[in-house]
Amino acid sequence: MEDDPVTIEELKQKMDETQYVYDDTMATVLFVALTLGRPLLIEGAAGVGKTEVAKVMASALGRDLVRLQCYEGLDESKALYEWNYQKQLLSIQVNMNTEDKDALTKSLFSDEYLLERPLLKSIRSEKPVVLLIDEIDKADEEFEAFLLELLSEMQVTVPEIGTIRSRSVPFVVLTSNRARPLSEALRRRCAYLHIDYPDMEKELAILRKKLPHVDDRLCAQVAMAVHELRSNEAILKKPSIAETLDWAGALDALGMRELTPDALRQTAGFVLKNNEDIASADLCGEKNGHCGHCGEHHHDRS
Amino acid sequence: MTDPEVYLEKLSDFSRMLRLKGMAVSPRETEDAAKLLTIMGMAEREQVKTALRTIYAKSREEQLNFDVVFDGFFLSEETMRARAKEHAKRDWEQEQARRKAEEELEQYGDKVQLTEAERESYVVMSEDVRKKLRNIVERFRGNMARNPDLYRGFIRSVFAKTIMEQQLMMEDAGTGCEASDPELGILYRNIGEFRDTEIPQAIAMIQKVARQINGELSAKRKRSGNTGKLDFRRTIRKGMETGGSFYRLSYRKKRSRRRHLVMLCDVSGSMVQFSEFALRFIQSLNQVAESSRTFLFSERMVEADAFRLQNMDLFRNYVRESGIYGMGTDVGSALEQLCGEHPSVLNAGTTLLIFSDAKTINPLRAIAAVKEARRMAGRVIWLNPIPEGKWKYLKSSRTMAEVVTMISCSTLQELAAACRKLTMN
Repeated sequence: MEDDPVTIEELKQKMDETQYVYDDTMATVLFVALTLGRPLLIEGAAGVGKTEVAKVMASALGRDLVRLQCYEGLDESKALYEWNYQKQLLSIQVNMNTEDKDALTKSLFSDEYLLERPLLKSIRSEKPVVLLIDEIDKADEEFEAFLLELLSEMQVTVPEIGTIRSRSVPFVVLTSNRARPLSEALRRRCAYLHIDYPDMEKELAILRKKLPHVDDRLCAQVAMAVHELRSNEAILKKPSIAETLDWAGALDALGMRELTPDALRQTAGFVLKNNEDIASADLCGEKNGHCGHCGEHHHDRS
Repeated sequence: MTDPEVYLEKLSDFSRMLRLKGMAVSPRETEDAAKLLTIMGMAEREQVKTALRTIYAKSREEQLNFDVVFDGFFLSEETMRARAKEHAKRDWEQEQARRKAEEELEQYGDKVQLTEAERESYVVMSEDVRKKLRNIVERFRGNMARNPDLYRGFIRSVFAKTIMEQQLMMEDAGTGCEASDPELGILYRNIGEFRDTEIPQAIAMIQKVARQINGELSAKRKRSGNTGKLDFRRTIRKGMETGGSFYRLSYRKKRSRRRHLVMLCDVSGSMVQFSEFALRFIQSLNQVAESSRTFLFSERMVEADAFRLQNMDLFRNYVRESGIYGMGTDVGSALEQLCGEHPSVLNAGTTLLIFSDAKTINPLRAIAAVKEARRMAGRVIWLNPIPEGKWKYLKSSRTMAEVVTMISCSTLQELAAACRKLTMN
């Protein structure tokens, strides 16, 4: 593990090594959260790169990434710990004839029978990790309340053992698509970052960095087309950054050097994921004879 | 490294300003901010702004509020220069006016024997009033010397008017101060009477009340967790994991009575405000329904995109873009369209909420359509922004209230009560 950066410039240097495209605002926010040891709550539409921030931080700080994917019904047995019942039962049967029953009972609730889930793993780790609590808005309110102790005190309480304090302070990243409003208590414990879809310039920079082998002209056309698609109100599922990368990669793999209407039609499935959106996108929609998406070349209307 | 104490005093003031703007700021955040400034310094304004925003603002809405307060509190160099220039100019103008007034008073003041308070008022008097005074003194110069008491009374009346106007301005300032307190008035005032400047306070109030209702709901759910009856199937299945011993018992859960919610919002000109507030309320309430669909209507109806409704700050733009803004209200047509084009939307498990003042084109058609909707949906509730006391004078509201459950929601307090009722039942 490397030492944590002590200035924003140092953090930027480390992030540069990860091939991640960021702006000054994001670097400052990450530095603040890291310096103060506060969990970072990231909100934004699906596909803007919220999860990626945690991965990048893990890579930049040289830490392990521990991920907890939230869903409805997620409880502490899946998120924090669970006792290994089978092993406990086996131990009871093996030691059935033992004299010291109290010692046996005590041994059943020891580390040997404890199954660590992501939250416990992250705070019991000797080396600090990056803990990603992904899509917290999908979890129930009860789970959100359960997280409060961990987020503010960096400790958890297991009834049979007691309070477990963190051995190292993890850098916690929570992401939310705002599917439901998060509690004020949770928000207050976190530093906050909102991410929007990148503008065309940033998207192009991402394409150039992630897909250096793809023709620059094609990248520019893809970035422009995606930008147009996102600003089209009729499209319900806006293309994410990952989809932009997939699309540019697919076009490149097919040997296409330009985003022609034919190329657009053939590869639309990489960027638009339902029929209504493909119909709404008006893939042949030309404006004044120019392609409605790449805005450059003319098409044969016959 | 600088001591955080250096920044604490300023940051405490800043935190207080944020609280006045409706943000919940704890001492811990102020402490964090001070700690951070000792590390980062204050050399780069934008960087400091981003860093403090990260600490203080916990949502998109709070970020906007934060930016306003920050820009007003930590002035940029250009702003400071511009303000200093503006102040200097204003001071110079005031000084000029004072000098001119004093010159004039030297000429006339002794003749009319002005008191010190009147001399002060003379400086702030408008040029018209001063001119009037000068004319009187000039015209009746001779008479004034012979009978000063007679003219003195008249001149005093001119000053009295100016002093009274100043007092009225002071009283107005007091009223403004009272209105800026979100606890006062906003909750109990008619929604239709809100000024544009009061809307952010009203929205903050909605969120606050919704939070309270959520808390009540959560407590209610905790109290009624399970039915107390053992769920044999789940208990046995869980027991398999632990070698057949029933390590954990499972209980039957109470059946959720949450319904599917269909909201029909009147967005014809005057109703947009009310529909926006009502939607904000419903959206802020957690688990008010299993699912919900929202339809907007004026003379025709369109389904609202649930994703776009997540950002209620853009609701008005969305309504304008939908092409139905600024038309009249046709409840009958909207409901017919809803029942005809989306027959599966209304069923026995649905609660239909109508947000409208019931002032509709073709009331007879509207009544027939409401009856039909009532037949199809499990529950129909009409939230009317007109106070209940006025329904008896309005035929449309009166008739509609006989056909369907109508709740008066003329104030935020009533709207909150209606939403509370909706969620608790």
